[in-house]
Amino acid sequence: MEITLELNGAPRTVECAPHETLLTVLRREGMVSVRFGSTSGETGASAVLLDGRLASSEVVLAAQADGHSVTTVESLNVDSDLHPVQAAFAATGAMQSGYSVGAMVLGTLALLERDPDPDEEAIRDMLSGILDRETAYVKPVAAIQQAAAVLRGEEAEPFRPLLVTPMTDGVHAVDHDPADPPPTGSPAIPRVVPSRDVPSTSVVGHPEVKVDALRLVKGNPAFTDDFEMRGLLHAKVLRSPHAHARILSIDDSAARALPGVHAVIHHGNVARVKYASGGQSYPNPKPHDQVSFDDKVRHVGDRVAAVAAETVEIAQQACSLIEVEYEVLPAVFDEVEAISGDAPVIHDEDDTADIADASRNLVHHMVAERGDVEAALASADHRYEQTFRVHQVQQCPIEPHISVAWLDSDERLVVRTATQVPFHTRRMLAPLVGRDIKDIRIIKPRIGGGFGVKQEMLLEDVVAHLAITTRRPVRLELTREEEFASSRTRHPQTMTYRTGVDGDGTLVAQDMKLIGNTGPFGTHGYTVQTVAGLRGLTSYNAPNKRFDCEVAYTNIPVPGAYRGYGAPQALFGLESHMEDIAADLGIDPIEFRRQNWTKTGDEMNIAPHLGEQGVLEEELDEYPKVMSDGIEECVAQGARAIGWHRRDDRSWREPADRPHVRRGIGYAHAMHGTAIPFLDMGGCSIKLNDDGSFNMLVGATDLGTGADTVLGQIAAEVLGVPLDDIRVYSSDTDMTPFDTGAYASSTTYISGTAALRAAEVVRKRLKERAAMLLGIDVPCSIELRDRRAYAPDGRSVSLEEIALDSLHLNEQEQIMGTGSHVSPDCPPPFGATFVEVEVDLETGQVTVGHMVMAVDCGVAINPVTASGQVEGGLLQALGYAHCEEFALDEDGRMLNAAFGPYWIYRADEMPRTDVFLVQTMEDSGPFGAKAVAEIPKDGVAPAIRNALVNAVGVRIDQLPFTPERVFDALQKG
Amino acid sequence: MPRALAYHRPDSVDAVVGLLAGTDHLALAGGTVLNADDDPTPVTMVDLQACGLDGITEADGRLRLGAMATLEDLVDDGRVPSGLSDAARAELPSTLRTLATVGGTVVSGGPDSVLLAALIVHDARVDVVGPEGAATTPLADLLTAGVPPGHVATAVDVDPAGDCVRHATGRTPADAPIVSATARTTTDGVRLALTGVADHPVPADPTDPTAGLAPTGDFRGSADYRLRLAEVLATRAVAESGEVR
Repeated sequence: MEITLELNGAPRTVECAPHETLLTVLRREGMVSVRFGSTSGETGASAVLLDGRLASSEVVLAAQADGHSVTTVESLNVDSDLHPVQAAFAATGAMQSGYSVGAMVLGTLALLERDPDPDEEAIRDMLSGILDRETAYVKPVAAIQQAAAVLRGEEAEPFRPLLVTPMTDGVHAVDHDPADPPPTGSPAIPRVVPSRDVPSTSVVGHPEVKVDALRLVKGNPAFTDDFEMRGLLHAKVLRSPHAHARILSIDDSAARALPGVHAVIHHGNVARVKYASGGQSYPNPKPHDQVSFDDKVRHVGDRVAAVAAETVEIAQQACSLIEVEYEVLPAVFDEVEAISGDAPVIHDEDDTADIADASRNLVHHMVAERGDVEAALASADHRYEQTFRVHQVQQCPIEPHISVAWLDSDERLVVRTATQVPFHTRRMLAPLVGRDIKDIRIIKPRIGGGFGVKQEMLLEDVVAHLAITTRRPVRLELTREEEFASSRTRHPQTMTYRTGVDGDGTLVAQDMKLIGNTGPFGTHGYTVQTVAGLRGLTSYNAPNKRFDCEVAYTNIPVPGAYRGYGAPQALFGLESHMEDIAADLGIDPIEFRRQNWTKTGDEMNIAPHLGEQGVLEEELDEYPKVMSDGIEECVAQGARAIGWHRRDDRSWREPADRPHVRRGIGYAHAMHGTAIPFLDMGGCSIKLNDDGSFNMLVGATDLGTGADTVLGQIAAEVLGVPLDDIRVYSSDTDMTPFDTGAYASSTTYISGTAALRAAEVVRKRLKERAAMLLGIDVPCSIELRDRRAYAPDGRSVSLEEIALDSLHLNEQEQIMGTGSHVSPDCPPPFGATFVEVEVDLETGQVTVGHMVMAVDCGVAINPVTASGQVEGGLLQALGYAHCEEFALDEDGRMLNAAFGPYWIYRADEMPRTDVFLVQTMEDSGPFGAKAVAEIPKDGVAPAIRNALVNAVGVRIDQLPFTPERVFDALQKG
Repeated sequence: MPRALAYHRPDSVDAVVGLLAGTDHLALAGGTVLNADDDPTPVTMVDLQACGLDGITEADGRLRLGAMATLEDLVDDGRVPSGLSDAARAELPSTLRTLATVGGTVVSGGPDSVLLAALIVHDARVDVVGPEGAATTPLADLLTAGVPPGHVATAVDVDPAGDCVRHATGRTPADAPIVSATARTTTDGVRLALTGVADHPVPADPTDPTAGLAPTGDFRGSADYRLRLAEVLATRAVAESGEVR
């Protein structure tokens, strides 16, 4: 049929099918700022202005829009300048991945058209239909306020960090004075608590606008699905309806006969090559218990077959025509039951090596011990034991997994894919498709959020097989339901802490027994649980520590990497346990932690025993030590900001006007890690251009975190140029140096040091060339700043002059440098998380009113992106604690594989979130930086749990704090 | 979504009813439910947007909400009582309430619909047109019986007097409530409606709100818990509605 839209102000007549959505048609017409989030429209990534109103185009038939006006962000892109709304989103750090920023910009235009001075409630209501897993909506609200002010003709407040006076000397605790008010102002402004140890810098430490801001805020082609391919085929995967079944036969003849179908692949026609899908360093942790297509399915949503066809609909129809005969097997979902010896065996095949005990679904059993835990527990004055259960949740990037594969003109396999690990993917894909690594290229464009779920080779082998078979480009995008049931999730765990404490409150022993649920495949099962042990046993000093961990196969949807990677689970247990011990001992909960927490100079005494490649059994001569910590300042700032003193004020805790409500405040301590020592590695190359600018190539994988920007700032600082002179390109296995990828809070620290080193190589040569031009014998006396090289006598030459001289005039050479970095250290960031809650005594409903996190991430290279990382992490952590939960029926089918039934926090209900960046100088990091990305995930769940203790005195050792669970706990008293 | 093989946009209700007599023809309102459905069954869509069913009008002391009035229209129109307008806002987020309609909500609103509960306590009556002509049915009855195939809801009229209050328990403040209670006090007494305790929102007796209820539990709340919530929330809503009156 033919429809006519008034598209961005001009009539446009297009052909479409009656079933096609407005989203499909707009993207086909080149409006790639309009993006897919789910077929039911609730992510809002696809929102456009339909007759001036914000509406998700996924749930509008194109035919419905016939005769109507449709506006997309492309309407603003009349020239190279940004519209004031776009400019405000860029200036305030309101975009991380930027996947949904088009919708936010359009919503802002519509809102301001109706009300030039909207209040925050109206702004948040407008944003209520645009889900965001990245910003916690803090900076988008600020962006809209700034845009409104500019459009009203007011001067925009510059978006600069607020410097907050330190409250401590960095070492000693201070008593909080309730009369001392916290800093006021918009929570979007990063609050930086400076340290005297940090030298002044020109680009590092400044709130630079993201280097990819323009392409994101204009909605230019940037993401995997934004680039057109001639002859593109569409893939769909036939998925298992059973949690555990043997495939007795597959008949694909009807599917193959369907017009428009080009290939059908399954275990009968794809080579059986064993692998592990987790994107990790070589050699991938064992067991390698997966194949592209198996003759057995192990969870609802597991792969059975895949089809490539002319359209998505034909591929879907072909999937429904594949006849599969299953022998349905009994299934098991609980990790404790799975390893009881009485459960169905999930991996009974004979070609998977290195399963600890396949007959009882035990993937791994690792034990690491320092000292003698049993003896120390036996002699301790106080002994405590507590068991916790944590549940299954999902990362929920708004961009689902998507990959496109094709053969290039040299018939090499190219995959453009939403991945956090392009280099691992290239290496892991090669054996599966029978090609050499050199014949594969992985391109990572912009990614619409990852959070670990894209640290996995999930679609790439499917599109690669289909592209090789059909010799056509093949695209596969997961639906939201598939993203839930068939991608990756956070590991559920059952954990028991046993702790021995001396009479004076000193920990003498801590034992963590963990049973991790890795679902049907190992993937990250080994490493997530070891990180749980590492993080769960490092926060506090105790001479005797033990980690005893069993990892179980089950038939739940597959767990994998999720931001925090075992730490959020462990720290829920640990920080709840410590709270309860403090209460039993009658010690202030923070003071008890302080008495025991690991701080500068202390050994991290279990860390070397829990590595990615195995458990280290012998004692070492030397253990890594904490070299920087800002935890006292974090606690002081956080306590003041939350109003910690109110937890002892009964009149506040029991509001007189609402007798069914109780209030409470909780605290949790967090100590995380920065990268994986001796393993995570990043590379960088930088070359000088004619105009004195630089191209910088990094293997590091910016997921929206701002990594490209931060790495660019590091190079710019070294080279004495503004960030705008550094053109950053990441990451493409043909073009950029190697990098392990975006995970383990490693990019700023590892890849940042690689950038620093590459820049130092270039700087050295620039100085030598400047010395030649200036006639100076001592190049090291030259300084680079303001795009120039200065001699000690004040004479200078511009980098452009050096570039023209070196490229064209004298002793020509390409000035360039490479750098790479792997670290023996893993400096811990620290964090203090405070949460205020209200509990409804009659219903069990918990309402979170305020979250504060003060983080010591060393020096924040970019305080805007760093605080954005904390804000987004807090939002996800809040969901983990409060409302997100996989619900499976007794057959393992997910009951809530859609946003709504699976609830993630919206803009119109997010509590106030305050972030403090407490500077410390970490000498091993680039310009003093440590990690920031994962630690915000660690403290919210235990802080809420501990706030509930404060409010109503109940101790709930299971997540999440949904109304009925809290109600039941209240009933039990 | 159901795979639309054809699309019609008739310009009158009569034409709509004529088309709906055809096999596999479905009435399409805003599309937030129908277009989000992943059932691949082939259908013919009959779009209601051009047959004059939008708009909100006042007549005989009642407010007539066209079936194609969007939830955003209810939010924006100052004549809509604020409790009803709040319910429309709470029903769906910004990017969907501009599409979703009053009629679509009546036909497909689920057990958790706070808008339907608010309409019930405002004595909503629904005009339904079918091959045999037009009929007006109280909303609560229509939700029990369902709109028969081949019929289309054309308008919902409500008593705008007074205002309603809602008490709800959900996982988070904006989550669809596990159970909610909406109450409105008029000169005739208190009207009460509950969500989350039956297949659709139901009116309830303010003096005995859980009488006759047999809710089904799910992962958000067991049957017993839902009954408990109904009791607590109804009590609160009734008390507050007396105060706001």
